[in-house]
Amino acid sequence: MKDFIAKIEGHGNLTVDWNKDKVKLNVFEGERLFEGILVGRTAEEMHWITPRICGVCPVAHNIASLKAVEDALDIKVSETTRQLRDLMACGQIIQSHSLHLFFLSLPDYLGIDRGTELAQKNPAAFKKALALKEVSDEIVQTVGGRNVHPTTTAIGGFHKVPTKVQLKKLLKKLAETATAARDTVELCLGLDYPELKVDLKLAALVNDKIAAVSSNNIAGRVESPVKNYKKDIEEDIRDYSTAKFGKYRGEETLVGALARLAVYGDYGEKYDLDFTNPFYNNPAQAIEIEIYHRNARTIIEKLLAGDLDARIIPPSKDASFIGIGAVEAPRGGLYHEVHLDPASRGAGKNNIIVEANIITPTVQNLTSIEKSARALLEQTKNRPQKETERLLNMLVRAYDPCITCSVH
Amino acid sequence: MKNNHKPKVAIYDFTDCEGCEVKIVSLREKFLTLEKRLDIVDWRLGQERKKPGPFDITIIEGTPITPNEIQLLKKLREESKVLVGLGACACLGGIPAIMPSKERGKWYKKIYGEKYQPRGIDALPLSAYAKIDFLIHGCPVDGDEVIRVIEELLSGKKPAYRGYSVCFECKQANNPCRLIDSQAMPAGRQPCLGPITQGGCGAVCVSGGSPCYGCFGLREDANIEGLTNILEGLTDKEEIERYFSMFLSREKL
Repeated sequence: MKDFIAKIEGHGNLTVDWNKDKVKLNVFEGERLFEGILVGRTAEEMHWITPRICGVCPVAHNIASLKAVEDALDIKVSETTRQLRDLMACGQIIQSHSLHLFFLSLPDYLGIDRGTELAQKNPAAFKKALALKEVSDEIVQTVGGRNVHPTTTAIGGFHKVPTKVQLKKLLKKLAETATAARDTVELCLGLDYPELKVDLKLAALVNDKIAAVSSNNIAGRVESPVKNYKKDIEEDIRDYSTAKFGKYRGEETLVGALARLAVYGDYGEKYDLDFTNPFYNNPAQAIEIEIYHRNARTIIEKLLAGDLDARIIPPSKDASFIGIGAVEAPRGGLYHEVHLDPASRGAGKNNIIVEANIITPTVQNLTSIEKSARALLEQTKNRPQKETERLLNMLVRAYDPCITCSVH
Repeated sequence: MKNNHKPKVAIYDFTDCEGCEVKIVSLREKFLTLEKRLDIVDWRLGQERKKPGPFDITIIEGTPITPNEIQLLKKLREESKVLVGLGACACLGGIPAIMPSKERGKWYKKIYGEKYQPRGIDALPLSAYAKIDFLIHGCPVDGDEVIRVIEELLSGKKPAYRGYSVCFECKQANNPCRLIDSQAMPAGRQPCLGPITQGGCGAVCVSGGSPCYGCFGLREDANIEGLTNILEGLTDKEEIERYFSMFLSREKL
């Protein structure tokens, strides 16, 4: 067996058929069978268990599970809870993107291997990397109780909400690190990205809909309701992978930073982004660091302007016991579905889970990674094989796949 | 380990969430200081550089769930002077160990379909297949605890386990006791595995309002029977079982 691709989350590598321009993305991660683990546990345990799918985006799994259970128990959380979860999600995206950019992906472009070598190569940039890691860890720590795997979150609200003193401290730290976020965008936009042109769908969540655009024409948008996620995101099983391969409405689809920028606004022109080139997912992550860094400040300012509502909202009598929770995780749309046993104890935290389904962002990206890798092979015909191999690994890394999530 | 050469270190991850490695990166400046004293020759998540063993210290995160991982673990044992488990999956089997081995077949079929050829066998701790020299517990590990253990190994000491329970640190954190303090708990007395669980986490879960599910493993001489008696007064058998199976399903209780 060939070595695993270094500097990605989880274990995978590529098999290239050089004569046929075909690429297989092999996934070797062991199956943990999370959907099976959840069955027989309680509603309350779901948001405790699912973060362990991925230590890089545990907050996304935590919130997706809470939203699924709250949907099932017909709970409408308070505005404070919604804002605090949004704040935590901002921290999560900055945590994940800065880890990926500085420690996994940027070394490809900066001529170093381990991310910490940046300390010598470009001390100023490294200082900024650490500042962004620190402030994002602190956001999640302050709201979630721990920077990896939250402890304060609960069905219907929070066991504990941060104090205003803590939030003010966080705001100060965000103000101090705003230049680090801005400079990271500049650094990433200034790098040379390999050329590549791929015709893909780009998809992101917009409220309770999935919105998709084409990489060649981001103005034309198609939407579908989240409640149809299972039908619209088809998964198939491949004999070379422990992860499933997803397609959105029959097409290879890229989700995550670059897709969000394509769907959410006119970032393409503002930053000269090429949506047909998946390598631009890297500068897109840098741009998102700045966006979510700014969003975090706005949310804290709003929280400080009013009273913090620490209420935990109880389940309603109209609970349907079936719920879906969808969130934009750092790597794209994440879907948790839960079915609870109504008979267990009325509607509450002790309802036993009878069925669960999880579709992660990387499941959707795997199919598009293979398509982009094929395009890369076709478009680098004149290059030495070794160089193309290096570019293929860089491409996989640029997608920031979370193989750990994709297998779950 | 002599001081005149930097110890050769390998960091491996088997099947898991990689959150413990994230905790190591989150150490930031502290990790940089520690890193200067090590020669990390093999770390897939962190670098492409990869030198073969033998290694002075090998740190393994995750549960060896596939035959390849089990084989690799045995090879790493042979090649390593000191083998350290990192986090609950490596030390206890972790959350993946909730799935009983006899039920895996059923779930492979349900999740992947009839034709699927499974890779995973069972989520067991590293110690099921090899002698492990030290376990850094936690889901995730506590960053400072990682530094303590590695620093002690570098100075030639055999690291010691915490001789006290989570309760000790919970008191220091000024938390009301979930098991006893009915006044301070919003929903009355609640189950908790703090009394039988090894300290070192700073009672971070209870401080956040969650129970202790025992991710740091059993403390020495844990009084399981005593705690079970208290839990039986608080809740039903099924819930007690769920608590004990969150992280401790593969422990001999």
